[in-house]
Amino acid sequence: MYNVDAYLKSLTSNAVKLSKKVQDGIVENTRDLRFENQAHFLDTNEDKMRQIRKNLDSKYEKEKLDGLKRLIAMISKGRDVSEFFPDVVKNVASNSLEVRKLVYIYILRYAEQEQDLALLSVNTFQKDLSDKNQLIRAMALRVMSGIRVPVISPIVMLGIKKCVTDLSPYVRKIAAHAIPKCYQLDPAQKDALVDIISTMLGDNSTFTIGGVLMAFNQVCPDRLDLIHPQYRKLCKMLVDMDEWGQITAMDLLLRYSRTQFLNPIGKTTAQTTTRTKKEKSVVKSFYSDDDSDVSHHSSDSESDSSEEENNSVDPDLAYLLKCALPLLQSRNSQVVLSVAKLYMHLAPAEDSYKIGRPLVRLLRTHREIQYVVLNNIVAIASQRPYVFDQFYQHFFVRSTDPVFIRNLKLDILTLIATESNITFILRELQEYVKSSNKGFVTQAIEAIGHCASNIPEMAESCLGGLLKLSYSKSDSVAAQSVVAIRRLLQQRPGDCVFMITQLTKALDEITEPLARANIFWLVGQYSNQLQTIAPDVLRKAAKSFTTESESSKLQILTLGGKLVALEGTTSKTVSLLLQYVLNMARYDLDYGVRDRARFLRALVYGKQKVAETTVDQDSDENDHENGQQESDSTEQDAQDGEGEFEYSEKELNLSDHIKAILLSEKAAPVQENPSHGREQYKVGSMSLVLNRIVAGYEALPDWPKVQPDPSVRRLAATMEAPGYMNDRTGFGSDSAYAKSRQGQDSSVSGGQERYDGQAGPYRGADTLDKFLESSDDETSSDEEDGSEEETSDEEETSEEGEEETSEEETGSGEEDDDDEDEDDEEDASSSEEEAILPPKRANGRRG
Amino acid sequence: MIESLFVLSPTGKVIIEKHWHELIPRRVVDYFNEQVSKAMTEGEDVTREDVLPIIASPKYQLINVYRDGLTYLSPVTKEVDPMMVFEFLHRIPDILQEYFGQVSETVIKENFVTVYQLLEEMMDDGFPLTTEPNSLKEIVPAPNILNKVVTTLGATTSVSTRKMPHGMSNLPWRKAGVKYNSNEIFFDIVEEIDAIVDSTGKAVSCEAHGTIQTNSRLSGMPDLTLSFVNPRLVDDCSFHQSVRFNKWESDKVLSFVPPDGHFRLMSYRVNLPSQQNLPIQVKPSINIGANGAKFDITVSLRSTDGKPVENVVLTLPLHKSTTTLTAQCNVGQYMFDPVGKVLRWDVGKIVPRERAPVISGSFGFGSASSDAAANAGYNIGVEFLINSHSLSGLKVDVLKLFNESYKPYKGVRTMTKAGRYQVRA
Repeated sequence: MYNVDAYLKSLTSNAVKLSKKVQDGIVENTRDLRFENQAHFLDTNEDKMRQIRKNLDSKYEKEKLDGLKRLIAMISKGRDVSEFFPDVVKNVASNSLEVRKLVYIYILRYAEQEQDLALLSVNTFQKDLSDKNQLIRAMALRVMSGIRVPVISPIVMLGIKKCVTDLSPYVRKIAAHAIPKCYQLDPAQKDALVDIISTMLGDNSTFTIGGVLMAFNQVCPDRLDLIHPQYRKLCKMLVDMDEWGQITAMDLLLRYSRTQFLNPIGKTTAQTTTRTKKEKSVVKSFYSDDDSDVSHHSSDSESDSSEEENNSVDPDLAYLLKCALPLLQSRNSQVVLSVAKLYMHLAPAEDSYKIGRPLVRLLRTHREIQYVVLNNIVAIASQRPYVFDQFYQHFFVRSTDPVFIRNLKLDILTLIATESNITFILRELQEYVKSSNKGFVTQAIEAIGHCASNIPEMAESCLGGLLKLSYSKSDSVAAQSVVAIRRLLQQRPGDCVFMITQLTKALDEITEPLARANIFWLVGQYSNQLQTIAPDVLRKAAKSFTTESESSKLQILTLGGKLVALEGTTSKTVSLLLQYVLNMARYDLDYGVRDRARFLRALVYGKQKVAETTVDQDSDENDHENGQQESDSTEQDAQDGEGEFEYSEKELNLSDHIKAILLSEKAAPVQENPSHGREQYKVGSMSLVLNRIVAGYEALPDWPKVQPDPSVRRLAATMEAPGYMNDRTGFGSDSAYAKSRQGQDSSVSGGQERYDGQAGPYRGADTLDKFLESSDDETSSDEEDGSEEETSDEEETSEEGEEETSEEETGSGEEDDDDEDEDDEEDASSSEEEAILPPKRANGRRG
Repeated sequence: MIESLFVLSPTGKVIIEKHWHELIPRRVVDYFNEQVSKAMTEGEDVTREDVLPIIASPKYQLINVYRDGLTYLSPVTKEVDPMMVFEFLHRIPDILQEYFGQVSETVIKENFVTVYQLLEEMMDDGFPLTTEPNSLKEIVPAPNILNKVVTTLGATTSVSTRKMPHGMSNLPWRKAGVKYNSNEIFFDIVEEIDAIVDSTGKAVSCEAHGTIQTNSRLSGMPDLTLSFVNPRLVDDCSFHQSVRFNKWESDKVLSFVPPDGHFRLMSYRVNLPSQQNLPIQVKPSINIGANGAKFDITVSLRSTDGKPVENVVLTLPLHKSTTTLTAQCNVGQYMFDPVGKVLRWDVGKIVPRERAPVISGSFGFGSASSDAAANAGYNIGVEFLINSHSLSGLKVDVLKLFNESYKPYKGVRTMTKAGRYQVRA
């Protein structure tokens, strides 16, 4: 009894002690527990600054943490706190992980400035590289390679070499990430680093490989020969990599493919699209600036080279495209765009429809992502509009869209307009004219004009719509519509008479100066077809001359000059009208108008007054209506130059050439789409979005003219991949994936196998084994083999590689025109076969 | 390569500054702020949303994301796929949201140390490293009370000084060793209708986008298979990383090992039949005169399977010259914001077969009214929500669980919402 009492007593006292201890602990730390409010560290007065050093020297972790947090707060406030470096670096070997992490953040920020002191920390990192915790090993290498102190590059190198063979794929990934950092520290190490990369390329962990490829792209992007033996493996692993790895891998595979395969971009579709482009480019190359010329050359050369080649797609290339296809369903928009990039630059044109829908899907996401997608769609649609023409509704503008989205959507609508969707698009565009944003209205009207010139069949209805808009009460709408009509008419002289007649009828109602000026110019330009109404327009104009705007006056003068030039001075009425107008203009307030009048008078009437005809270039550019089109004015300039030339050299009378001067054919303005020229850049690149070359942009390599040796990929990896690379316990190990896929075929529960690699904490390992035994001998035996003799895996992969080709080659024949779904199913089944086959062979061999 | 990140407050001040590669001086932020304010003063009614996401400066391309008032600015010097940068920049607030429940200047300041730690882990020398919330949580603990107590007590008793999670999971998106007393998983199928409806009530464009938001609270490594009654409805979809693509291709089932906690399992687009009835009809009529306009908007239900429509809100942005507005409505409340020139009508709940809500009234233009005001078009933004209704009719059939022995509690909710829904008047 007594014993029990004593026992109880001691128990209570112990309990009290314990509770006191816990309580103390809690009380001591209540400040920290004050729920995560770290904001008070941001309060930085001098007092607190002095406290920092004391804190850092403290023996209590909590105080150290306080000091470090305060330092980081200072960094984010933009203060230079490098003076604390010696105090901080002392703590690098702290036992508390939390302290260390903060120390790392600080060191990475200031190591470059305090190189000598930073060296003090290296020792700890080296020690940590052998820690048994993978995260600590990884962190040590990461920080060590991150402090940019060139002296330590050999140590970093050693660290990388050590971690490259680490059993943890996470550490290996970090090692891969450290390679480019080491390369930057000391470019002389390149050869050694390339060796490491080349070994690491054999890594079969999907988790690691993304980092390796990144390092490859950074350090030795030109060593594509290293990729040969890994190509098929990379394609196969693509779907299982992490999203960022997928992006890097596709970048690399794109470059690789452009140098290793012949151009498969199909003849049929590519030709038809480029043909229409060529027609346009004939006109363009005359008048457009160099920039657009270049792009046309490129598109031409592409079509040329495609003509040389036949249509067959290399089976290896087809395999890549097939492997990339499921990634279109990734949630990462860059992954989707990367697949689009592959398809645009590698796939036959007729396959590119596959990327349309996923790209359109991205329009549902954030504004910034929409911006990039739309830019890319513009570029793609200007080459292959058929990819998007059925999605036109998705490009309708909402009143809530930001300005930059609206404009891009308008561009796309004009690019993808076809005969079947144009009515909807037109109706929609006319709706936009109601917007209260003037800039947008202008763009919308221009877009209608673009549509009309892209689809000649629809031009009439577009013109009709524009004509209606030109009566609009809103001045700017009217003006823009007339300008758009003018441009269209210049392209289609056939329609002129009717349209101009319509416009002149409306002349009394149209008040906007720009619109009126345009109408006068049109009448003058096509006066030879408008002999009945043109003089009447001049008569009306003369009547209202004093109230017209400057630009209209200039155009009225030109109109008069043209009419006289056309009919000669014989027609008295016209001549009188012109004289009247000239007289009015002589006393005009605007010097441009006076100038023009003097010039015309000299041109039309006076040999004797030739001396007065100084050509005012400025006003003459106005002739062409406010320099709307650059090509217009250059053309006009050229003409002016000609005129002057003749005059000064040969003393010819200008009025003998009046017809040539005033009534020359004006070239139709080129409808310059502002987004024009984007297609010359790589899909997805910054240069494409900005439509100019950004530093560091690398154009895609040209397709090879002669087929490079395809057997290089068939040669499987010659070196044996060390066992650690095939470990199945790692992150998302691909072999596990492959198996789960395989299992899925036979039963739904097959997915189980995938996670068995992880030993220990999961229940169900028993059941899993049973399951494996019962359902699929092949896999289970392979599973065991894999874990026991890991080196055999490499053989497997190599075998697999060969197997694939044969599969692929037989498969590709049927692939061409099948229905997509069917195709995919076939693919799925064939890939499953592939996955099953190699173990069989491998087993056989081992047995 | 993503070299640096600045997180800017709504006033353009730096809250967080992180350099993954070389240091980029802070003055780039000043330049950026200048460009933003310049862009915003230049055009007519330009807001912060209209500022270009990529601003080119002589030395840098200023890639910026504007979200919830905060700017995530990443100046880059070299060619980079901008989409990747945007994708990454958007991940940051996503993850902060996951960690702190909300994202704002105050929240970031209150947790700035954690934020720095996260940024450190998310990126390595300009290349994304760990961006899966589940993996991150193993490296940087989320600030919840439990974690805090454990670390503070642990620190004082110095028992587990080097406590570090050893068992990193073999799936980057799922934590190892998850344990719950009651295992549950919830699926929220949310469908949003994007539509542009013209004044006659005809849909100019109309489509439904669905997402399946999942909250998984399952122990261990569950392997799930979710199948639908009518998967063919799904037209185009994207998946969470955990979903096996090929399985969907072949069997149209979602086979996946879920991450722990909240995540978006799938987003999809639904092909609506060409004459799909929209659940709600808004009939506006606006008669514009010289100095003002009379308007009249009726809302009626069309096809909702007899379910009530909730949270109906109509917003009508008016022309800038509008000065006065008077209106009457038979249901709900309206509010006129004279600064933003927006009429907002909070209709509330509409029950089938009750009288249709109507608002009518007039507004007047100020003295400086121009022709533009008279000709301007009007767009009504519509918001609503229908519970336990899915526009497409997509239905979950079965959820099977493998690899674990427990029987989880499963919950599925459906909901239809207005997405970008606009009626032209």
